[in-house]
Amino acid sequence: MKRFVRDNALSLFFLVLFVLSLAGQSMAGTADYNARQLAQGGATVSWAEYVVSSDFAVDVAENWQSEYLQFLLFILATVWLVQRGSPESKEPGKEGRESDEDQQVGRYIEPDSPSWAKAGGARLKLYGNSLGLLMGLIFALSWLAQSVAGRAAYNGEQLSQLQDPVSWGEYVVSADFWNRTLQNWQSEFLAVLSMVVLSIYLRQRGSPESKPVGAAHTATGVEG
Amino acid sequence: MRKPIMCAAAVALVTGLAGCASAEGDAAGQAAERFYSAISGGRGEQACALLTPRAAESVESGGETCAQAVTTLVMPGGEVRGAQVWGDDAQVRLARDTVFLHRFPQGWLVRAAGCRPHGELPYDCEVGG
Repeated sequence: MKRFVRDNALSLFFLVLFVLSLAGQSMAGTADYNARQLAQGGATVSWAEYVVSSDFAVDVAENWQSEYLQFLLFILATVWLVQRGSPESKEPGKEGRESDEDQQVGRYIEPDSPSWAKAGGARLKLYGNSLGLLMGLIFALSWLAQSVAGRAAYNGEQLSQLQDPVSWGEYVVSADFWNRTLQNWQSEFLAVLSMVVLSIYLRQRGSPESKPVGAAHTATGVEG
Repeated sequence: MRKPIMCAAAVALVTGLAGCASAEGDAAGQAAERFYSAISGGRGEQACALLTPRAAESVESGGETCAQAVTTLVMPGGEVRGAQVWGDDAQVRLARDTVFLHRFPQGWLVRAAGCRPHGELPYDCEVGG
């Protein structure tokens, strides 16, 4: 048990943070929703009612889609684009999908390689893109969920303001949908840009996300 | 009482097309019909009991109570042509005007009635709004 916790401490740490943050968001969201309801002369809802509402769903989904988009783009862009000096980047000259030797496939397969990597053919192709595909799928589903739940929440707001509800087609080209989407995207892209650039010049001793403290600014793809 | 919030979210997530228009829409439509029927029948107390507290306040004027003032309102109304429910709010389209309702623990109450569209702006309403 102790060993399991130590071996998986990083995943467990973020899992606990995720659960606590989601619980906190649901409680703060209930209070915020009820304050708006009272201001509009409406009735308040319980926590259990709020967490199955479209208001909660859209707030969760809009953040999820942007996070998965961020990692999807980071995973794919770093195949083809490099940043000299950044530990987040491959060395210049290694752009692209790399050789079978570099990727330990085909003749270079290892005894302990995953079975789908050993399989070759379509399974190897699928497995060789599985991380990006899953991230992309979760992004697409989260964005779709944002559009559906966002429309439901928006229409509730429209009715409370004595305005007509809108169709899904109208909602996905609306200011509300794109404001929710782009305000999340811009912050994610800024965070990636900061990580790529700041890690050229700054260090965090002991972190694999940083270069070793004594590494040169020009050293690329070196993790501490 | 507020199962429809979940219902609206679930249906919307599955279909992406509409809120829970059926059962809840019917309930909202019936509340709208009862309100118009109470006004046309001169039953002011009953009509005001079907208004949200804020809408009832908006009807009171010049020393007249809600029950007295509400029966003097002229609203064309007509039969229910359709209803949409989103979360705790509903819009009921009548033959000649539109009603907006909000769900409270005791059921659907009229937030605004006698409403006509006003371009991109909120509806113009005789009651509430």
